[in-house]
Amino acid sequence: MTDFFAIIAVGIGTYLSRGVFILALANKKIPDPVLIALQFVAPAVLGALIVALLIDSDGNVAIGVGEVSAFVVGGAVAYRTRNHILTLIAGMGVFWVVRALT
Amino acid sequence: MSPDRSIIKQGIADALPLFVPAIPFAFVIGVVIVESGISPVVGWSSSWIIFGGAAQLTLISLLGSGAAVAAAITAGLVVNARHLMYSAAMAPVFQHQPRWMRWVGPYLLIDQQFALAMLRADDDPKAFRTYYLSSGLVFWTLWQIITAVGIVLGPIVPQSWRLEFAVSILFLGLIVMGIDKYPKLVAALVGAGVTYLSAGLPNRAGLLVGAFVGILVGTIAERLRE
Repeated sequence: MTDFFAIIAVGIGTYLSRGVFILALANKKIPDPVLIALQFVAPAVLGALIVALLIDSDGNVAIGVGEVSAFVVGGAVAYRTRNHILTLIAGMGVFWVVRALT
Repeated sequence: MSPDRSIIKQGIADALPLFVPAIPFAFVIGVVIVESGISPVVGWSSSWIIFGGAAQLTLISLLGSGAAVAAAITAGLVVNARHLMYSAAMAPVFQHQPRWMRWVGPYLLIDQQFALAMLRADDDPKAFRTYYLSSGLVFWTLWQIITAVGIVLGPIVPQSWRLEFAVSILFLGLIVMGIDKYPKLVAALVGAGVTYLSAGLPNRAGLLVGAFVGILVGTIAERLRE
């Protein structure tokens, strides 16, 4: 049940973030400093998430050779190809191979 | 063919190729729902309640990994805060739309939808509405189907594949492809680094600390660049 409420909470928040200016504040502009900061929300949060998802229950970051290799290769493929599917295949492929070898 | 039908066809034709990059996200969301231990139906409901890949992946991964519910919700909301920019940019276009459309429009306003709709901002209101709903419904329908496919196939995927790691790879791809100036790289690296240093904080609060410091330092880097 908690999970469902969490989903509803994020659902409402997501709808509002998409709708607030369309529904209510059409004549208002986002102040420039906020607009500048908003650009950095996605990279900062996603960067933080990548690490947070690797934290184990003891509060240690469980990152090994497999993870690091996958990030290096996946990042390079993303940069070169701009293609999410190729990035996923390359990253997971390297992850599996390195883990099998080590 | 009536103009309406040709607009609908155009909306569908434009949406399909843009959906392709979203397929791995949708599929991995389905698999992660299964691995998180959340009930499949509840997990899948996020596809129509939230309808946003990054927020869904964030929320479900964090719930499944034992983060505090409040931290998971906050992270899910923060990740979608970028939609405020879309909302502000689309607001003038929607002022020519009927009230019901101003309520329905935001629900469909995902990244791809925004990219397509901005190109149609100068269309007459009815044509815009037809196009917007056509492309939006394509994205919405495919999203529901492919997340469901991920949930169905999730139990077949062996745990040893560690497919939940795919979330990290997909997020890395989003970061790399989104970097168009170095302050964004700074924001990503600082966000990751500070989260690493604060990993010992309870309830994964380090995530929010890292995100906040990342945004702050990115903004400062942008100021210095100007």
